[in-house]
Amino acid sequence: MPVGVALPVTNEEGFFEIRLESIGGLGANVAGKILAEAGVLYSGLNGSNFASYGSEKKGTPVKSFVRFAAPEKEIRNATPVERPHVLGIFHEALVLSDKSVLSGLYSHSVVVINSRKDPETMREMLGIKVRRLGTVPALDIATETGSRTNMAMLGAITKACEFLSPEGVVEAIRDALGTRYPQMLQGNLEAFWRGYHGVKWHEVTVSEGEAEQPYVRPQPLFGYETATLGGTLVRPGTTWNKDMSASRQGQLPEFLRDKCIDCAQCDLVCPDYCFVWEMGQDKKGRPAMVLKGIDYQYCKGCLKCVEACPVDALVAIPEADGWAPEHRVQQRFSIIATVG
Amino acid sequence: MRQEDIKVAARPDQRMGFLSGNEMAALAASQINFHVMGYYPITPSTEIAELLSEMQANGEHDIVLIPGDGEHGAAGICYGATTGGGRVFNATSANGLLYALEQLPVQSGTRFPMVLDLVTRSVSGPLDIRGDHSDLYFAIHTGWIVLLARDPQAVYDMNIMAVRIGEDPRVQLPVIVAYDGFFTSHQKRRVHYFAHQDTVQQFIGPVPERITALNPRQPVTIGPYMNDPDLINNKYQLHKAMEAAREVIAEVFAEYAELSGRHYPIVDLYRMEDAEAAVLLLNSAAETAKDVADRLREQGLKVGVISPNILRPFPAEEIRKACRNLKALLIGERGDSYGSGGGPLTHEVKAALKDDPENRTLVLTRIYGLGGKDFYPDDAEAFFKLALEAAETGRVKVRFDYHGVTPGDPNRVPPPGTPVISREEVTGLVSVTQDPETGQLKVKLPPPRQLMERPKRIAPGHGACPGCGIFPAINQFLAALEGDVVVLYQTGCAMVVTTGYPFTAHRITYIHNLFQNGAPTLSGLVEMFFERKRRGEIDVGEDITFVMITGDGGMDIGMGSAIGTALRNHKMIILEYDNEGYMNTGSQLSYSTPIGHRTSTSEVGPHGRGKLFHHKDTPMIMAATNIPYVFTGVEAFPQDLMRKAAKAQWYAKNEGLAYGKVLITCPLNWRSEERLGTAIVEAAVNSCFFPLYEIERGVTTITYNPEEKGKRIPVSEWLKLMGKTRHLLRPENKDLLEEFEREVERRWQRLKARHEHPLL
Repeated sequence: MPVGVALPVTNEEGFFEIRLESIGGLGANVAGKILAEAGVLYSGLNGSNFASYGSEKKGTPVKSFVRFAAPEKEIRNATPVERPHVLGIFHEALVLSDKSVLSGLYSHSVVVINSRKDPETMREMLGIKVRRLGTVPALDIATETGSRTNMAMLGAITKACEFLSPEGVVEAIRDALGTRYPQMLQGNLEAFWRGYHGVKWHEVTVSEGEAEQPYVRPQPLFGYETATLGGTLVRPGTTWNKDMSASRQGQLPEFLRDKCIDCAQCDLVCPDYCFVWEMGQDKKGRPAMVLKGIDYQYCKGCLKCVEACPVDALVAIPEADGWAPEHRVQQRFSIIATVG
Repeated sequence: MRQEDIKVAARPDQRMGFLSGNEMAALAASQINFHVMGYYPITPSTEIAELLSEMQANGEHDIVLIPGDGEHGAAGICYGATTGGGRVFNATSANGLLYALEQLPVQSGTRFPMVLDLVTRSVSGPLDIRGDHSDLYFAIHTGWIVLLARDPQAVYDMNIMAVRIGEDPRVQLPVIVAYDGFFTSHQKRRVHYFAHQDTVQQFIGPVPERITALNPRQPVTIGPYMNDPDLINNKYQLHKAMEAAREVIAEVFAEYAELSGRHYPIVDLYRMEDAEAAVLLLNSAAETAKDVADRLREQGLKVGVISPNILRPFPAEEIRKACRNLKALLIGERGDSYGSGGGPLTHEVKAALKDDPENRTLVLTRIYGLGGKDFYPDDAEAFFKLALEAAETGRVKVRFDYHGVTPGDPNRVPPPGTPVISREEVTGLVSVTQDPETGQLKVKLPPPRQLMERPKRIAPGHGACPGCGIFPAINQFLAALEGDVVVLYQTGCAMVVTTGYPFTAHRITYIHNLFQNGAPTLSGLVEMFFERKRRGEIDVGEDITFVMITGDGGMDIGMGSAIGTALRNHKMIILEYDNEGYMNTGSQLSYSTPIGHRTSTSEVGPHGRGKLFHHKDTPMIMAATNIPYVFTGVEAFPQDLMRKAAKAQWYAKNEGLAYGKVLITCPLNWRSEERLGTAIVEAAVNSCFFPLYEIERGVTTITYNPEEKGKRIPVSEWLKLMGKTRHLLRPENKDLLEEFEREVERRWQRLKARHEHPLL
C-alpha cells in the first residue's frame, strides 16, 4: 500500500510541479512518466503527467511535465507546467543556446542539468540564482552502464524531489521497463543509482522573490495581421537559420582534408546537407568542386558519411565541448531577404 | 504490488492505475473484447490500436484488428462487421473522421450499433495535429449518439457504457465517445478500473438479438434502394431512437454508477446552484474552468461551470434548467461554424433557451483553443470576467469573438530565406537523348563531384531524425532533374519535418495536400500549367517538372487516387519513399511492411509474430496502369537512381506519368544503427527483396542484378541488420522466415522472366 507523503511546497493551486526539458530520443518522456508513477502509485500522491507533443522527431526539443498534489486533491488542470519547482535539463546544449528553458523558475526551485561541468561553473555560465543547482554527467553514466541519459537524470531528479522515495522510483522503473526490456533493467537501475548518488549540488541562499524568472509564454512570429493568408510561406529555405547541433548524442564526423578525394559519396548519403563544397581545382589543375568541410550547425551525428567514405577521410570522434563550432565550415547562403 | 485494490461493499473489485485517455480506451476495449476493430492510424487516436496490438501479442484479448487502407476503408470494415451481428470498435481523429464521414450516416441509417472513439483534433488545413473540436462538430449531424469524456477516467467509463446504450433495442444506434486529443488522450492521471473482465462482461451482457447478414436460414436485404416517400420515415425512426436514447442513457448511467461508484449526470453542473454567471465548455477545458470557479467563489463571485456529458441527443432540457436563473453564460467553443456567429454549441444552447419563455440569460460566445492552443486557468478567468460583466451590467458588449488570437508585430522580422535558385544553376549537367532509330533513351550523368555545383533544392536545418533515409533519396533524385521543379508532398515525415511553421526547408515551390489526394491535386496543377500556357497567360518558354513526393503510407490511403491519376497519364512524376510503415505517426504497419516485420500495430510477443500478410508490390500495381515509366531505386546506388530520375523527367515531359519507389531506412522505427542506413538498403537490394529495375513503355529491365555481380545474399543477412526483424531469425519463427524468403524468391524469379521477355 502506498504511504502518504507531504509535498514540501506547492503553488497557489496546490501543485508541486516538475518540468523536464529535453531532446527527442533522450527519454525525458519516459522519465517523466516513471517519476509521476512513482509519486502516484508508490508515494500515495495524486499526480498527472504528459509531454509537449507535436510531430517532433528524434533530436528536436521536447518537454515533459509532472504535477503532484495531495492525494485527496483532484487534478483538473491540463496545461503545461510554466513555473516548475524542479526543472530537469537533459542536454546542456538546450540551456546554453536558449535561456528560455529556464523560464518560470522560483527562487526556491531546484535545477538539475545533464553536464560534465561542476555546478558552480554551470551556475556562472547560466547566471541564475536559484536555491539549488545540480549537475550530473548523465551521458557518461549512460554510456558506462549501457543505459540511456534518462535513467541517470531520473536518479538526480529523484534526489531533488526529497519527498519521493527512491525505492518507489525503482519500482516504477521495473514496471515501465522490466517486462519490455528485461535485459536492460540492470544497467538502467545502475544508472539510476549513480545519478541519484552522483549528482553534485551547488547551493546558495536566496530570499523569496529575489531570483524569480518570470515565465514568458512564447509568442508566434506571425499573427493574424502579419501572416500571409492561408499560411503560405513566401521565403524559401528558411530552415537554414536553425541550429540542429543538439540532435547529436556524443559523436560527430571529423573531416580530414588530406585524405579526401572529393568523390562526393558522403554528400550523397547525408540526410542533413552538411557538406560544404567550393569551386577549386582537381589534381590536374582543372576547375572542379572541392569539399571544404562540414557545417556542424546541421550535423545530427548519424555518421552515415563515415560509412560511405572510401578513403577514411571522415572519422567518428567523440564530441568535445566547443569542438564543432571551431571546426565548422559554414554553408554559404546569401542572407538577402527574398520575396516578402 | 503497484495497484491498489479497492473494495467497496457490494461493488466489484477495482484497481488504481496511472493511465492516459488512450490507455483507458484500449483497456476498456480489451475488457469489452469487441469482435472486430477496423481502424486506420491517425494522431492522436493511433495509440489505441497500438496498445491493443501489444495486448494482443500478449494474449490479452481476442479482438480481430484490421488495418484499413484509409479511414474510409476502416469505416467500411466496421460497417461490414456490424452487419454480422458482433461488437465492433473503431478510433479516429480529425480528417480521418472527415474521410470516413460519408460512412457514418450509412451506419446509423441502417441501424447497426458500434463504438467509435473520436479523439478530437483540429481539421486541416493547414495541417495541425493537436486538439480542438472542429472534427466533433462534423460528427454531430450523422445520427450517432455522442458521449463526451472529460478525463481518462471518463474515457474508460463512457466506452463501457457506450456499448450498452447503442445496443439497447430502444436505441440501436452507433455511438461516438469523444475526448480531447492530447489533453486527455495523452495525459496520465490517477484512475480506477474493474479488476476483472467479468465485471465488464456482465454489465454489457450478450449482444442483443438483431438482424444479421450471417444467418443464411434467414436471408435479409440490408440497405435497399429507398427514395421518397420512404426515406423520411426511416429518418423519423432514427429521430425517435435518438429521443428514446435520453431515457436509456440516464438508465445506463445510473446502473453504472451503482456498479462503479462513479456517477455521470447528463450535464455536469459545477457550483451552479446559485450561480449568476457561468461558462459552458466541453471536455478538458471545463475541468480547468472548475479550478478557476473555486478561486472566484472564494472571492465571493457567484460563478459556475456547465459541461454536457452527452452531445447527441442534445441535452436541451437539462441546459434550460441549469440556466433558469442564470444572468449570463459564456459559451467557449473549440471550433467555429464560420460566418454563423458561433459554433454549433452556441446555436443549440440558444435554441434550447429560446424554448423557455421565462429565460433571460445573456449569451456570449468565444472561440478558443483552436489547433490545440492551451486553455490556461487565466483563459478561463477571462471567460468568467466577461460573463460576470454581462451579468452585472445586464448587457453584452461583444456577442461573438475569438479569444487568444495574436495580431502579430510588423516589426518582428521573419528569418531570412535562401536565394531563389536560378534556372542556370540547375541546367546543363544532365542530358537525356532519344535514339531516333530505336526510341531508346540515353542518359548522360556527370560524375557526382560535378553535381556538387548544383544547389540542393531543399535547405539544411529540417527536423528529420538523425540518419533519416528520406533526404538523401529525395536529394539524389532532385539533383538529377534539370530546370525548374515544383513539388507536392503528401502528408508524412518529409512534409512535417520540412515545413514546421513559420519555417520551410523548401527552396522551390512546394504544395501539401493530405495523403489520399496528392496525385490528383498535382495533376490539377499540371493541367492548369498547360492551359494557362495555351491561353498565353504563362510564357510558352516556361518549363516546369512536377513531382509528387509521398511515403508508402500515402500510397496506401492514396492508392486509388494515384491509380486514377496514372490512368489519366498526366505529365508528372510520383516519387514514393518507402520506409515500410507509417513512421510519421509512430511506426504502424503499412501494406508495404513485409510479413513478420515488427511495427507498433503488428507487435511481437507470445501471441504475435509481426505483420500477418506480404508487402505490397506497388511498382507492379502502377505498371499495370500502363504508364510510360516505372522504376525502383535506393541511395546505395546513386548513379542508378539518378539515371532513373533523369529518365522519369524525360517521360514526364514527353509521354506522361512516371512513378518510382525508393526504399529508404528509418533507423528509429527499424531499430537499426543510424550509420548503417546505406548498407541496409544495399543489403535489401542484394537479397533480392528490393530489386533495382525499370519498366519502360511496358518493357522490364533489371538495372542491377546481384546474382550476376556475385553479390546476392540471403534475406536473413539483410534482416539481421534491423531490430524490427531480429525475431524472424529465431528458430521458432523459421517457418515465417521461409515463407518470406519464398515470396521474395517468387517475385524475383518473375521479375527475371519479365526482364528476359519484353512481352511480359
